[in-house]
Amino acid sequence: MARQANTSLVAGLSAAILAAFGLPLVLGGQWTGIFTSTACFAMAAMGAGFMYSRLGMVSLAQVALMGVGGWVTLRLNHAFSLPFETNLILAAVVTSVLGMLLAIPALRMRGLYLALVTLMVAGGLEVVFTAYQFPNGGAGFWGVGTSFAAEMRRPVLAQSDGAYLTYTLLVAMLGLLLIMAHRQTAPGRAWALIRRSEAAAIASGTNVTFYKTWAFGLSGLLAGLGGGLLAGSLGLLDASSFRASESILLFALVIVGGARFWLGAVIAAVLYRVAPGLLNNWGVDADLALIFFGAALLHAVTTAPDGIAGQITGLFRRREAKA
Amino acid sequence: MTKQLKLAATALGLILAAGAAQAQVTCGANTGTAATGAPILVGGIHGNAAPGDFSASTQAAAAYFACVNANGGINGRPIEYLVENDQWNPELAAQAASKLITDQGVVAMVGNGSFVEMAVNARTYQDAGIMTMASACAVSECFESPSIVSTNQGPLASTIGAAQYMVEAQESKNISCIGLAIPNVGPWSCGAMEGYMASKGLTGSSVYLNPASPDVNSGLLEAVASGADTILVNLPAGLALAFMKAAEEQGMVEGYKWASSTPLYDRSVPAALSDVWDGRMFVNAELTPWDKGGPDAINWLAVLDAYAPDAPRDTFSQSGFVSAKFFVQAMLALDPAKLDDRAAVNAAIKGIVGYESDLLCGPYYVGEADRHMPNHAGTMVVVKGDGFETVRDCYEYDSPYFAPIFENEKALGLN
Repeated sequence: MARQANTSLVAGLSAAILAAFGLPLVLGGQWTGIFTSTACFAMAAMGAGFMYSRLGMVSLAQVALMGVGGWVTLRLNHAFSLPFETNLILAAVVTSVLGMLLAIPALRMRGLYLALVTLMVAGGLEVVFTAYQFPNGGAGFWGVGTSFAAEMRRPVLAQSDGAYLTYTLLVAMLGLLLIMAHRQTAPGRAWALIRRSEAAAIASGTNVTFYKTWAFGLSGLLAGLGGGLLAGSLGLLDASSFRASESILLFALVIVGGARFWLGAVIAAVLYRVAPGLLNNWGVDADLALIFFGAALLHAVTTAPDGIAGQITGLFRRREAKA
Repeated sequence: MTKQLKLAATALGLILAAGAAQAQVTCGANTGTAATGAPILVGGIHGNAAPGDFSASTQAAAAYFACVNANGGINGRPIEYLVENDQWNPELAAQAASKLITDQGVVAMVGNGSFVEMAVNARTYQDAGIMTMASACAVSECFESPSIVSTNQGPLASTIGAAQYMVEAQESKNISCIGLAIPNVGPWSCGAMEGYMASKGLTGSSVYLNPASPDVNSGLLEAVASGADTILVNLPAGLALAFMKAAEEQGMVEGYKWASSTPLYDRSVPAALSDVWDGRMFVNAELTPWDKGGPDAINWLAVLDAYAPDAPRDTFSQSGFVSAKFFVQAMLALDPAKLDDRAAVNAAIKGIVGYESDLLCGPYYVGEADRHMPNHAGTMVVVKGDGFETVRDCYEYDSPYFAPIFENEKALGLN
């Protein structure tokens, strides 16, 4: 089992490196932008996926937390002359801390009630984003001006759109490695125990509150990184991108993609951003994708609980077994 | 029988009118021969999703380009007009610009209309050395960028123009502006209106609606609570109509003076309003009234009738038509060998000075400048019967905001 997981990880990392350096060479301007967004949302999907698969916790605030990461990145960019990387890390840390703080009142809840609490958080953040908007170089704490938006700095090594896609994919890969590292060390073992039986975990001395909060923090960190990278890609953000409904949609796609697998997060993000892009290119209303997503979710819930990634992995395993 | 005769007469009249309109079409070189050469790629981006449809400008530009292509094109080459919809989404707006500029290699952007795309793409246009001749601009970046010039005035100028008329002709003392809570749209334009009112020693205030879920009733109550004697609606047409409907339902129409920026200057609006608005709603038209006459006003309608019969007939449509016409005029003057050279096309557009149209109150120009707003004089109309009636013809707006624009015009010898 561990060997299979390692093989899967090596395959994933190889694919990510290949994509990071290969995609910018073959993609046009439009698809470079689409895949950059896809990589950003893949990070948020990873967070939602591991929380659900490792702890059974449903977070419906991942896209809203991306908005927090984007907000902090923009605010720091316009307020100080710090390098992009510093802004990005600070944004990820702030989002992580916010994720942990938001988790504390939610820790006594499970299942539907926990999902509802995270949804309320997403709704609250949506109201804040709509009311106060995203910083664009204006004065004051909120940093919103009414005139020309100030320039958003990008990493020194990733000034062009193609280089920025490479950069984003590499950061997403680091996010994946971070989750893998957690899974194979003390937090991963604690999460596995908590998922099996919270009472047994407490009896064995596991600090359930700490590890659950840590999971929220890690998930928030990934969402913050995704939001910060999205801010760097576009230069400005809009509240409409971080509605509570977007968080629900992303979580649904994580289920469709397969929450237990790293590939599931990639599939979720591809469905979330690439599918509408394709429909737009074909001159079809991108909202039509929602109908496909609904059908896919129904399929996943009824016949494929491990999602598309689970089906793909199962296919390979059967082939290996036959061989 | 009488009804049948009336119907037949109406149908005959429409056919004759259509025939007359067809006959009046004048586009580009006007050769009457279809262009057959390699296409010249031109892009356009509009926003069409909630809270509004801004595609009238690209539809009018597309109609004019189709007419030009049927009349010799640009020295025998047709214009291939590639249009994208940003759906009011910053990500899609950036992707649309990348697709048009990087992937498809357009030489210029014409007819753009959106709340979103100019804010996201202003730097992209600048970096790519591409000039955007926009037509339905609503954000500050449209008018404060070296690479965008818009034929329409935008909400800032239109709102100031409407407020100025209400102060000077309707004796308004306290105006409440209803805008969208998008910083570079609502606060930018309504804020400038407040500045105008303050400069006259009067009172101005603003109410902003959430574009994602606008609550028109609470917006209306907030405006009333401000103590305003005049409510200036600065919203997309659909939302503005919803706001007015709420005012009507609450019996607040007659107690206030009413004005609007240009989105309400749409042919379909008077029919959508009840009689209570007759003679009460004053609307600023950024371009000249469509029934004013003049060669371009007639040609605009004729081109739409011939090439886009279902397209809206509103200010943004007029603006898209004028942008496309001036672009074609500049391209016809350019060396035919340089029509695919983005830098040469960009320079040709920036070289536009003193182009005129009866759809505009003043000359159109671009020039090399850090900001562009060639159109800053408009007309005031009032809803009357099934249409609009002009209450003040072309007048210049009065605001400190226009000072740097007047400086640019002086440098170009226009002012």
